[in-house]
Amino acid sequence: MNDHSISRRLVITTLGALGLAGAGGLTLAPRRAHAQQLGQHETVDEALKRIFGARPMKDGSGVVKLDLPLIAENGAVVPVSVDVASPMTAANHVKAIYVVADKNRIPVVFRTTLGPEAGQAAIGATIRLGETGDVRAIVEQSDGTLLAVKREVKVTVGGCGG
Amino acid sequence: MADIGKVRVRLPSSIKPGDIVRVRSLVIHPMERIERDSKGKIIDKKYLYIDRVVATYLGKTVAAFDTTQSVSENPTFVFTFRATDPGTLTITFHDTHGGKYEGTADVKFA
Repeated sequence: MNDHSISRRLVITTLGALGLAGAGGLTLAPRRAHAQQLGQHETVDEALKRIFGARPMKDGSGVVKLDLPLIAENGAVVPVSVDVASPMTAANHVKAIYVVADKNRIPVVFRTTLGPEAGQAAIGATIRLGETGDVRAIVEQSDGTLLAVKREVKVTVGGCGG
Repeated sequence: MADIGKVRVRLPSSIKPGDIVRVRSLVIHPMERIERDSKGKIIDKKYLYIDRVVATYLGKTVAAFDTTQSVSENPTFVFTFRATDPGTLTITFHDTHGGKYEGTADVKFA
């Protein structure tokens, strides 16, 4: 009888500990995800520092083609495309392309990760622009070099609201 | 918003083996923006927007996008891949509320 009650208590406490561990894991996971979130409320300098640290950025104007309308009448939908002249081989390819809008409250718009399977480094998306300002494309190559280009876009009606 | 999560994938009409194919994809999604209360303070809640897009072809990831709220509503994404064999191109959109929307296109050679 005594034996039975002890074993039951043991089972219950073990279950409790497991439950606590599970709950701890659950509450930790989203917090960690939040800390690493790509888009945050920050200035563009803070964003670049957070993502790239002090890594030097070269001017990529000969290699990277950033295509955007000169004037965006509607900032809610602005097509952007980035074209990089790259052989896209396993040894030399574009690893990631970042698009950053300087004046947006969340400056980092998106990051594309590519591999040699892409065949060509040409991507595009529709983005929001809050107000007139520079839009940058930052290209990270497989050897770690960063190439940056930027273009100013005039925005007639902002699309970020809030 | 009944159409939320509708995905459209467009490939060129004729593809030859070895071609670099440009894909256009569209997803119907509200991509919620930051909201503020009357004092201008940001309302802290879990905003509903797409934060990851993954395109796979023949079991390999050809392109992935990590996106933020600075991406437009009903966003389109364009990327390329090298078509080597017939197969399926799958594009999966993940949003912050755990939603998963998938679109596929068959890669066939004429």
